Amino acid sequence: MSNHVFALQERLRGWGHDAQAYAVETKPGAVDVLPYRRLFRDVGPDDLVLLHFSMGNEVFTQLAKLRARKVLVYHNVTPAEFFRGINAHAATYARLGRRQLAELAPAMDLAIGVSAYNQRELDAAGYARTAHVPILIDWRAFDGAPDDAVMARWAGTRPLLLFVGRVSPHKRQDDLIRMLAYYRACIDPNARLVLVGGYRDQPQYHARLVALVAALRLEPAVTFAGAVSAAELVAYFRSASAFVSLSEHEGFGVPLLEAMRADLPVIAYDAGAVGETVDGAGILLADRDLANAAEAVGLVLERTDLRERLVAAGRTRLEAFDPDSVALRTREVLGL
Amino acid sequence: MNDGPVDLVALQAEIRERVQRKRAAGVYDDDVRAALEMPLPGGRALFSDELGDPLPALQDVLAEEATYDATSHRRLVGGAITVGRRVVIGLVRWWIAAITDRQERINQLLARAVIDLRDAPSPQFDERLARLERDWWRWREDEVAGSLESTFFAARFSGDESVIRRQSKSFVDLFRGRTRVLDLGSGRGTFLELLRDEGIAGYGVDPDAKMNEEVRSRGFDVQTADGLTHLRSVADDSIDGLFSRHVAEHVLPGELIAMLRECRRALAPGSPVVFITPNPATLTVGAHTFWLDPQHRRPIPPELFHFYLEVEGYERVETRTSEPSETRLSEDVPAGPVRENVKLLNATLFGDRDYAVIGWTPHA
Repeated sequence: MSNHVFALQERLRGWGHDAQAYAVETKPGAVDVLPYRRLFRDVGPDDLVLLHFSMGNEVFTQLAKLRARKVLVYHNVTPAEFFRGINAHAATYARLGRRQLAELAPAMDLAIGVSAYNQRELDAAGYARTAHVPILIDWRAFDGAPDDAVMARWAGTRPLLLFVGRVSPHKRQDDLIRMLAYYRACIDPNARLVLVGGYRDQPQYHARLVALVAALRLEPAVTFAGAVSAAELVAYFRSASAFVSLSEHEGFGVPLLEAMRADLPVIAYDAGAVGETVDGAGILLADRDLANAAEAVGLVLERTDLRERLVAAGRTRLEAFDPDSVALRTREVLGL
Repeated sequence: MNDGPVDLVALQAEIRERVQRKRAAGVYDDDVRAALEMPLPGGRALFSDELGDPLPALQDVLAEEATYDATSHRRLVGGAITVGRRVVIGLVRWWIAAITDRQERINQLLARAVIDLRDAPSPQFDERLARLERDWWRWREDEVAGSLESTFFAARFSGDESVIRRQSKSFVDLFRGRTRVLDLGSGRGTFLELLRDEGIAGYGVDPDAKMNEEVRSRGFDVQTADGLTHLRSVADDSIDGLFSRHVAEHVLPGELIAMLRECRRALAPGSPVVFITPNPATLTVGAHTFWLDPQHRRPIPPELFHFYLEVEGYERVETRTSEPSETRLSEDVPAGPVRENVKLLNATLFGDRDYAVIGWTPHA
């Protein structure tokens, strides 16, 4: 369950509404979240239900029948092609998700894409009323103190390339590892890569990534940090030299903005909504040539003026996602 | 500090150049390339990658066995679930087998059909393609009178060897001290001979195999190839001079530009290039003698050739004319407007018949 939901809940409560988060599954330790089954009892025709959709689940077919105003918030569904042959379970739910996206259309009063890219998919899926409102980011946790242990562990390690995102075939961590091989051979032998993101959902892909690291003899240079706390996340962003993404599918790309918030230069492959999220405040890679990708990172790290311009552009870019404006836009779109 | 937006196009060019530099320096070697192409261990390639090249992947998949592990690892109930699954599998086994057998046949047939379609799209398609190729080939041949008896043509119209020698000799000085000069369109080997006389190492390339044999018998290194094809095969920075007499008028403008680009790549920094071609600024050439060779594609005005070299990044570009016309109007008339007019006519009609453009690749 994303921070987006909690940020939204807090805003809604601030506007005097009685807002409650419900989930199919909750992370251990999550507070103030109720099981989704309660919805069928709690909700009435005058209520507004926001359905956050990013993966198929049989539950959505039930939720579509709720007698309430229903708004789909679409975070995009990763196409099944990325999981085929590597994770049959994920592929099944991805396929279901695409099918449900179309099936849910008639039941929704409104569908909100968190990017223009997502909104286009909603339009194509047959939603009558669609809107585009970015993800609401609560920067308070991100602006807090970084984790000391992580800071100490990575102090003085340069260059440190960072990617944040769950370990999954569509995020293409395998290409980041290959790119690092080029980087260390042709640009800087001290380069390290940290992959922050949970890998429990993709054990097969993770195991194969570990094997790839071993085959390329990159063991000491690649770190799988796994799922991390907010303080640890901040520490990784503060320790890194650049944020590099070779992901082939993104519905929005929160870590791109987090990198900008942490004054990191962003180098990203232009896929899905990446281009519109970055919008000039980073180097977009047009093709999947990994040597070019590595040299783009190398260029940014060598040229202080270029790096500073990207960081400055990132700060400007963040203004477009200012939480207060996004909250107002959400309120306007929801008619609250 | 400049706060303007980052010029991504310039940056892309710089990035590509950096990669090229690493490749030229040998840092980006086969080992690194192998690392970049290293397959993900422990199974098939990612399906999203296979979609990029589906046919080989399709054949691999057809050969693959589908396996299913019925074991449940759930605590307490795991054993019962495993047994339950096995019982169900046992019960529906032959039904599933019938379905998979039919599906297998469909898959095999479809794969075969797709592969056949790739190898031979269709009889009508093949026929049309063959006709198109034949017509295209005939057009290319007709355009340059490919059916003409070249021996007879050469006997009547070929340039005088001593004239070629005299003209070529005036350019030898530019190549002094060079170690590997390419004579593109080396013909009878005249320029190679001049180079050897001066102790300059060089080699020739010409499409005429028969002539090359004769030149080779005189101890010269010549290769039989089309100019652009050869240039493309030459490694970066591996030659340090290029001489090309009466070649440019035989190729299409696009090919000429491609040749200039390949030359720049193949030549070491600070190397000279010389292209000699008929001078259409002399009207008796442009309107008459140029067309005496049906293999000439189109005349190239000196200003245009000069521009080609400049725009392709050559430095210190200059144009030199040579071979004055033998026929000229007599300028032995009283001074005044008439003599000026005669001079002008001489320059326009009976000027130099050839010109050379000379340029240098930039220093590193």
